Amino acid sequence: MSPVPHDPLRVEDCDAGGEALALLEGAARTYRSGAVAVEALQPVNLCVRRGDFLAVMGPSGSGKSTLLHVLGCLDRPTAGRYLLDGRDVSALADRELAAVRNATIGFVFQRFHLLADESAVRNVALPLLYAGVGRVERARRAAEALESVGLGPRMAHRPNQMSGGEQQRVALARALVKRPRLLLADEPTGNLDTVSGERVLSLIQAENAQGTAVIMITHDPEVAARAETTLLMRDGRLMAGPRPV
Amino acid sequence: MGEGLRHVARHPLRSILTAFTSAIAIAVTVNVISLSFGMQADIAGDVDLFGRRTIDVGVPPALAPGAPVPALGDAEVARMSELLVGLEPIVVPRRQRASPVRAAADTEAVPQRMQLVAAPPAYVETLSIPLAYGRWLVEADDALPAPNACVLDHAAAARLFADPAAAVGAEVELGLDGALRRMRVVGVLADPMRYRELFEIFDEGEGARTLTSSLLSFRNVYVPARTFGGGAYTGVSIVLPDDEAVLEAQARLIRVWADASDLRALSGSSLIVFVRRQWMEALGASTMQGSMLGNIVWLLIVLVAAVMISTLNLITVRERYDEVALRRCEGARRVDIAMQITFEGMTTAVIGGLAGLPIGYFGASVMRSIVGFPFRFELRYAIAATGVAVLLGLLSSVVPARHAAALQPARVLGRRLR
Repeated sequence: MSPVPHDPLRVEDCDAGGEALALLEGAARTYRSGAVAVEALQPVNLCVRRGDFLAVMGPSGSGKSTLLHVLGCLDRPTAGRYLLDGRDVSALADRELAAVRNATIGFVFQRFHLLADESAVRNVALPLLYAGVGRVERARRAAEALESVGLGPRMAHRPNQMSGGEQQRVALARALVKRPRLLLADEPTGNLDTVSGERVLSLIQAENAQGTAVIMITHDPEVAARAETTLLMRDGRLMAGPRPV
Repeated sequence: MGEGLRHVARHPLRSILTAFTSAIAIAVTVNVISLSFGMQADIAGDVDLFGRRTIDVGVPPALAPGAPVPALGDAEVARMSELLVGLEPIVVPRRQRASPVRAAADTEAVPQRMQLVAAPPAYVETLSIPLAYGRWLVEADDALPAPNACVLDHAAAARLFADPAAAVGAEVELGLDGALRRMRVVGVLADPMRYRELFEIFDEGEGARTLTSSLLSFRNVYVPARTFGGGAYTGVSIVLPDDEAVLEAQARLIRVWADASDLRALSGSSLIVFVRRQWMEALGASTMQGSMLGNIVWLLIVLVAAVMISTLNLITVRERYDEVALRRCEGARRVDIAMQITFEGMTTAVIGGLAGLPIGYFGASVMRSIVGFPFRFELRYAIAATGVAVLLGLLSSVVPARHAAALQPARVLGRRLR
């Protein structure tokens, strides 16, 4: 949880106290298909500090995923800039962006996206492979991450031997094993039953409590209510959302 | 690498299909290389038997209308010896003709037309063909009032006798001057053509063989020099001690007579000077062209295999968009993705290629045993084929690897995850 409450849409005093983690300044994303230009993301200002927990709601096609991709360094803004940890990542080369994703950002997806042929522990160890961590250390840290999400006994299981909730916890362990500073969750409970969804949300909240900033996309107001702040996307614009009840 | 190996192992059917395509390509490569290089090496070995250090001087094979037949008698032979002083030549004049021949014991048999050559014993120096049975002609065979000894080549012995070895000591009847003359077979030359059957498959009319024989001094029946009586010689074979002497002798001889490499000389009225080594080199160049054709065939097959494997890999990559996007999310660089796909492609291609080596070897062995194709398998061919397998893997991975590396994870995730 953010130590100092702030308005994430105000970027002017984002770095107050040196807490700024991710800063979008007029960041926009336009896709071109032939002569047609689609403005998926209108110029957006967003300030994310360490320990923030933001929920982003909005109808399908409103630009939520585009925002997440830009924040996750999977896509570059076509206008404006994106500062991550004080570094302008808008113009970084592919290999540098890959390193940023690997070191700083954790991803959790609605459909888990686990490697179907690999065991839970190997799925979790994947980011460490690209971080250049040795095989033994990878296995140790992956096992530790699985233990932390309550899946110690399921390490050798493959995704098809697990329930949806367990798969999502494996995906969460994969996101957390690299100790990210920013966790991006795209509808993390969208495919889960209530009990499994609750457990995943609790784990995300626990991670946030340790200082990891979380940005979560959701359609569910009850899930959004777990965040400190809810933002609303509509027609590619980001605005303040409903206040938590 | 570990990731690539695991992927190959985790999808055995796909990997086996890819490896099988590679195996076929490499098997064909090994087969064709073994056959073409084997044929080339063997033909080179065979032609050496016909006398690499021998020069022939003879009349042109065709004469222009009205052109006089150039004289080739003792005076010309003496001139040749004078021209070649210092080169230590063995000068062997010969007379040759085609005559009917049959085994004397087989009086019912229809005589077969064969090539006969009458020459002094030194004639054997013009060939490097060893005797299979018996002995070569000696001076004493020519000393009798009517020479009655002869040597057969292996093909003639096989045609006249069921067992060529049984020819030695037997008698044959040669049609000479309108009468059949009996001569005792004292020796049989080895068959210089290791792949005679193959040669004959492609030379049903024996035109090529006859041409080869007439250009060289290889004939069916060898008889003492006086057998045909006197008269002009058909040709003179000159054996020299080394290649340098051959060139020098050629240079001296063509100051007087025409060089056979000059096509106009072949129907002129001058004697022609024919250097066997040059003919062999031309033959070697021809077999090289044959090898090149073979190489083009396997290259085309490798190319087709590369396209097929590339297509398989590309389909695999398309099925793995989510995986690639996920890996990119988790920190994989484009080069990591490209290397993984390339490694996977190369692994299956090389495994298939290694499997293709024994298949190719077996295929070539079968072809050898059935149709008598020459075949030579050496370690270097196996190494070359393995190199081709690596190349095949690389070629077939370029497009899929580039395609996978160029994937935009945001697009894949945007389209599929929501």
